[in-house]
Amino acid sequence: MSSSTSLGVGRWLAGLLLAAALPAAMAQAPACPVKVGGILPLTGSMAPITKKIAQAAELAIEHVNQGGGIKSCPVQFILRDDQGQPTVGVDAAKYLVEVERVQAFTGTISSGVTGPIISAVTAPSKVVQISCCSSASNFTDGRSGGYFFRTLPTSKTQAYATASEVNRRGMKRLAVIYVNTDFGTDMLRFYRGAHKKLGGEILAEVPYNDNQPNYRAEVTRALASKPEALLLIGFPKDAVTIVREWLSQGGPRKVALNNSMRTMDFVNGVGGQFVEDFFGMDNAQEPGPHVDAFNEAFLKKWNADSKGPGVHTQYDAVMVMALAMNIAKDLSGPSIREAVRRVHTPGGTPVGTGPAEFKKALELIRAGKPIKYFGATGPIEFDANGDVSGPALVWKITGGQIVTDRTISLTEMQALTRRVEE
Amino acid sequence: MLGVASYLVFFLCVVLVLCILTMGLNLQWGFTGLFNAGVAGFYAIGGYTHAILTAAPNPQLMGNYGLPWLVGIIAAMLVTALAATLIGLITIRLRGDYLAIATFGIGIMIQLVSLNLESWTGASQGITRIPKPLATWFDAPLSYNLFYLVFMVAVVALVYWALERILSSPWGRVLRAIREDEAAASSLGKSPLSYRLQSFVLGSTLMGLAGALYVTFIGFVSPFDFLPILTFQVWAMLIVGGSGNNRGAMIGALVVWGIWAASGVAVSKWVPPSHAAQGAAIQVILIGLTLVLMLLYKPRGLIGERSVVSRHLVW
Amino acid sequence: MILQALTDGVFTGAIVSLGAIGLSLTLQIMRFANFAHAEFMTIGAYLALAVVTFIGPGTPTMGLSFGWQLLLAALLASVLAGAMSWWLDLLVFRPLRRSGAASLVLVFAAFGAALVLRHILVLIWGHDSYFYTRELQLGVMILPGMRVLPDQVFILALTVLLVIVLHLYLTFHRTGIAMRAMAESPTLAQVCGIRVDSVVRTTWLISGFMAAMAGVFSGLTPQLHPELGSNLLLSVFAAAIFGGVGSLPGAVIGGLLVGIAENLFLLVANPGYKPAMPFLLLLGVLWLRPQGLLGEKSS
Repeated sequence: MSSSTSLGVGRWLAGLLLAAALPAAMAQAPACPVKVGGILPLTGSMAPITKKIAQAAELAIEHVNQGGGIKSCPVQFILRDDQGQPTVGVDAAKYLVEVERVQAFTGTISSGVTGPIISAVTAPSKVVQISCCSSASNFTDGRSGGYFFRTLPTSKTQAYATASEVNRRGMKRLAVIYVNTDFGTDMLRFYRGAHKKLGGEILAEVPYNDNQPNYRAEVTRALASKPEALLLIGFPKDAVTIVREWLSQGGPRKVALNNSMRTMDFVNGVGGQFVEDFFGMDNAQEPGPHVDAFNEAFLKKWNADSKGPGVHTQYDAVMVMALAMNIAKDLSGPSIREAVRRVHTPGGTPVGTGPAEFKKALELIRAGKPIKYFGATGPIEFDANGDVSGPALVWKITGGQIVTDRTISLTEMQALTRRVEE
Repeated sequence: MLGVASYLVFFLCVVLVLCILTMGLNLQWGFTGLFNAGVAGFYAIGGYTHAILTAAPNPQLMGNYGLPWLVGIIAAMLVTALAATLIGLITIRLRGDYLAIATFGIGIMIQLVSLNLESWTGASQGITRIPKPLATWFDAPLSYNLFYLVFMVAVVALVYWALERILSSPWGRVLRAIREDEAAASSLGKSPLSYRLQSFVLGSTLMGLAGALYVTFIGFVSPFDFLPILTFQVWAMLIVGGSGNNRGAMIGALVVWGIWAASGVAVSKWVPPSHAAQGAAIQVILIGLTLVLMLLYKPRGLIGERSVVSRHLVW
Repeated sequence: MILQALTDGVFTGAIVSLGAIGLSLTLQIMRFANFAHAEFMTIGAYLALAVVTFIGPGTPTMGLSFGWQLLLAALLASVLAGAMSWWLDLLVFRPLRRSGAASLVLVFAAFGAALVLRHILVLIWGHDSYFYTRELQLGVMILPGMRVLPDQVFILALTVLLVIVLHLYLTFHRTGIAMRAMAESPTLAQVCGIRVDSVVRTTWLISGFMAAMAGVFSGLTPQLHPELGSNLLLSVFAAAIFGGVGSLPGAVIGGLLVGIAENLFLLVANPGYKPAMPFLLLLGVLWLRPQGLLGEKSS
């Protein structure tokens, strides 16, 4: 046994030596091209919504390269599939960080995959990770060492805003059908509090597991409580099934939805004529040149509209990463982490989406001037936890089209939050 | 090169966990002829038990007692053994593919419990801050992972040695006798059901151990870690490596997980991102084809079973 | 509420029954659990989609959401799926049987084949959802608290029709009788001069045909996606075993009961556990009456 003991000690020493050498290796000047990673569930149950998200990421990379790249180097984007399975995702993340030497990466969607990545790769290896779509609230509780950010507001914003709108439309007696994942339960938790505080009543809470062949039973159960309206929290594919069931069984046509349903896939799936006056919330993509520019660019490149869950936030995640990597003094993890918040500095010069704006941002950065990034989702400002809060908007379906009904500004959101949480 | 080494260390740690999982299954299938299609369930029981006992306290969850690491490991094995005993008592009488379907269903139910029992398991948000053993002794992830690798090698070696001893003991010989010809074995006064149950419990305990070791390595657990695809992967490892053979089980774990990881790399290198989804579909097709082809042309796996007895199964 | 749950259960169950019939046949005659069976439901649905893309689903007739074109598409798709089911046997299962592989190896091969088949569909059609028709049917209230869709009634009627046809075939047609003989005892059947190969072929053809039919009508309500079949796999297994392997009426009753049980269960239990329902049923059956309701005790 003694030979293996000395072997063990030897490995321990080797480990120490390697560990000492690591930080030096990481802080060197970048060799071109600069590699940036991406992990998304390209196959698996999330796959229907991931296609456009991946396209948004690719569009962002293209804009970054057209606008000047990172530290004057072109950017190479390496995208891996996590298959919706945590072990695969963690392996992919480790590979990207250690073998491909990506300096930062974006991903992923399912919290079951993002969680272990943060725990096993992001935090220990000190690499910045920005997620477009992982909403579990416990990720930004500090255990990522500050290396994890996300460009989508936590469900809290959406939930409170939804409750406010539901209340405004006088829908007091509500049934809720929600997807039985971290996203659904998180949003429901915030929603419940807000709805009750604003004077409403939730008559039934019915979870559903995704990817089921039919949801008749869930709908029956929700209808049994005789609600006057429905709140549906989930994703388009199953939501179409559920809404069709709801309507077939004579459910009331007052339906509130979450942001994932803001896509023509949903409208067409159910049938435009059946979803009149359905409404939902989304993080405010404030109408303005920057959001329009993104929508147009997306349409031009991919020949598909940019509506859909995660599309805008993914574009912003990549852009923020690229801007931060340019602001950072070098491409080490701690430097990039520190630079992420300087992507949106109060009083900075506004820069928007698209290659021209990115080029403008680079010039400002080189001149040492602060910038304020307005992305495809709106202003991107990270709070102390790495979360984005922001204004919300109400959208509704009219004449088979998705239109914006009104926006709830940041001040109004803050007032609403205070009212709910007092 | 440092990066490649760092990745390989991490990769091997995961492979070693899978080795234990596969060896547990090997005991059940290779040596006892039990088709346990609920591997993910026992893996989950071990993982969650360890997490609930050792994770840092969290006001939103019950449990998370922050107990010492070793307590978590031992408890994981005990709880899994208990669960396996109960499940075994219900299912062990079932013949071949009915046992498969029943255990498959049980695996799914366990996963659903972890998804719905929010106050204990955190539901889909999972349990975070699961401590790693001796984490404070090592500064950098590479040095810690090297330590964990060495530790895992020791554990796997121990498990292998223990299994080989058990299988060449009188108990193990009876087990094989039952597998080959149940009527003859029971005519000698051995109770096949009792031996099968013991083997089932022992194999499942190993799976629980693997679950605890994995969860503590990653530091996070959620219901998504225990989907049916995992059971399929472990089965593939056993079949590819050669069932009825513990070294085969380990080689299978390395090869199958290696193929899974390598094909992901290949797709990301050769398929442009806009077609990544199709590339990923091709990856799965290739994996499925590999397995079916293995079964057709190399049914004994890469290392077939040592012994000369037939592969005749007793139902 | 209970009445509606019962009604829904019957209609969901009809689709499960169609799937269970084919599975029951292969379980009994081929003697292994074909985990790829569910993928033929998906394959059938997508093949019908391909046909419908050319000829359209037809204008809604008689209150249904589709016309005769969809039925033609379903027929073509089912015939083709039956053939593909047989080819799979020729390619994978038969060589394994010939080399003396244990039946559980076949199960595993089926699982692998299922993975391949499903992802070939993903390769061609992607993960997006597809629809046969954009019509949305509103339930007709035939009793207080009981709404029914015309489509559902049609599917139930079609299921009954197919079952009757199959039953007649098995009882009176030569190959059908041969199938029943093989199910009893392959050795004796061969002694009687029954050609095993042709029985095996017919079994796969019928099994694939029924699965595809189930798939098309599952895809009708309301959309197709690549996991269509695999999401029904467990219910179909539960139904086949519950009703008694090899029993045609058993598969039908099993399917209906599984559908009803699922819907009733949800009235009282946490819907988060819904996928577990078929298994609870299955475990109960296997524990209390392993041969199922109408099956015979295996020797």
